[in-house]
Amino acid sequence: MSGNVVLRISDIDVFYGNLQALWGVSLEVKSGEMVAIAGANGAGKTTLLKTISGVLHPSKGSIEYRGKEITGLNAFEIVDRGISHVPEGRRLFPDMTVLQNLIIGSYNSKARAARRENLTRVYELFPILEERKNQLAKTLSGGQQQMVAIGRGLMANPGVIIIDEMSLGLSPILVSELFRTLHEIRGRGITILLVEQNVWRTLHEADRAYVIETGRIVLSGNAQDLVEEEEVRNAYFGA
Amino acid sequence: MSQLSGLASPVVIGILMGGLYVTIALGLSLVFGVMKVINVAHGDLVILGSYLAFSAITIWGLNPLLWLVPSLPLFFILGLLIEKYLLNRAARMSADAALIVAFGLALIVQNASQMIWTPQTRALTTSYSMTTFTVGNVYIPLVYLLDFAAALVVMVALRQFLERTYLGQAITAASQDRQTAELMGINPGRVSQIAFGIAMALAATAGIFFGLTFSFNPTSGTALLIIAFGVTILGGLGSMVGTFIGGMIFGLSQTLGGHFLGPTGQLLVPFLMVLVVLTIRPQGLFGR
Repeated sequence: MSGNVVLRISDIDVFYGNLQALWGVSLEVKSGEMVAIAGANGAGKTTLLKTISGVLHPSKGSIEYRGKEITGLNAFEIVDRGISHVPEGRRLFPDMTVLQNLIIGSYNSKARAARRENLTRVYELFPILEERKNQLAKTLSGGQQQMVAIGRGLMANPGVIIIDEMSLGLSPILVSELFRTLHEIRGRGITILLVEQNVWRTLHEADRAYVIETGRIVLSGNAQDLVEEEEVRNAYFGA
Repeated sequence: MSQLSGLASPVVIGILMGGLYVTIALGLSLVFGVMKVINVAHGDLVILGSYLAFSAITIWGLNPLLWLVPSLPLFFILGLLIEKYLLNRAARMSADAALIVAFGLALIVQNASQMIWTPQTRALTTSYSMTTFTVGNVYIPLVYLLDFAAALVVMVALRQFLERTYLGQAITAASQDRQTAELMGINPGRVSQIAFGIAMALAATAGIFFGLTFSFNPTSGTALLIIAFGVTILGGLGSMVGTFIGGMIFGLSQTLGGHFLGPTGQLLVPFLMVLVVLTIRPQGLFGR
């Protein structure tokens, strides 16, 4: 299933003003993988995603997408390259309809041409969105909003989709459903990079994972191996 | 006869004049939505639009409505430049800095107008300036009808643009959540520029219709800014339907205030309405 490295992050430091948030973080995502970044609140997960999508810029190190450096690019240029970021808290445009939210996802030049096919696909993945397409985004339930957020991310026609805290505030049943959809999305050749606070759940779903603590990667590897490691830890330390 | 029997005339005139206020206020509202900056130069830019039309009439004998055609792109481009070289740089520092720059722009436009066109009061006088229709016992000047028709055309066109085009949707998205808009591939700087350009084209339109309806001098812009501000507050900043309703309320309360309270009520009543709305519903009638 996995092939070449599509996303390579090498030894990046990221600051918020004077405050250092990431320390020498490196990671790789291979084509067709589902990779998770797990860690506690405030560990730097969201910072890492924002740096990949160009909202933040690293002071040191580099980020490459498909072998090309994207480190200094603006967020709006990075979408164009093929990395789509589904932000924490869904961040839908509240006074736009579901359909308008999806369509604006296809704003970048490459996505516009594929808009019709991508919209059909999104409706296949989330049929409820087609029913609700003329409803304002702010009137949807949390789960439906998350579906729009993911759908909007897919409308950008990405090679890699990065999703921040997808399961936050959603019921376990909904979360399972969304993970099933993510596997389906991956099955269509889109690489997925996930950030979750729910470490346990994430490790069960992903192929590989990185565990981040206070701005540093402390563990990485096959998600299944990390699950066992976590089990050992829990057994001995009750953490 | 009681004052009530003569109510038809202030109601009709109030609504028609409200249309003019809508056109004036839309640009202010659009810029605030996208840039979160209150463009205090907006009123003066409207009057600049009136003056340029005045020159076009006096120099080339053009019909002011024909002057719309070149003045829209002219103001649009002027807007792009003002946003790029003045406002955007200040806005990157802080919203306060942008406000101060806009204030400086207002002073420059006012004083330049004074130098070029003298402080004398002017009007856009045409062959149809005095034309009126009589419906029942209500006299309706043609220019008031033009004002209202222009407001409708501007509203529909702007709405179509904002709802039906990628660029319009980008402006809408950026005014709701700028950072997330950037994650969609929208260049927020470009969107601000375009929005300001459109606001300037709206100012040019408003200036022509204002000049057809009322006389103006270089300092008239300040009053227009305050009116536009009142209209947007009534309706809710950033809401187009709100701006329309706000314009109607403002126009109506002005003419009805004048009808019942005399000339002193003309501006007193609309601004009392603004105060009442601010107290009860600070986000405006249609605000988010």
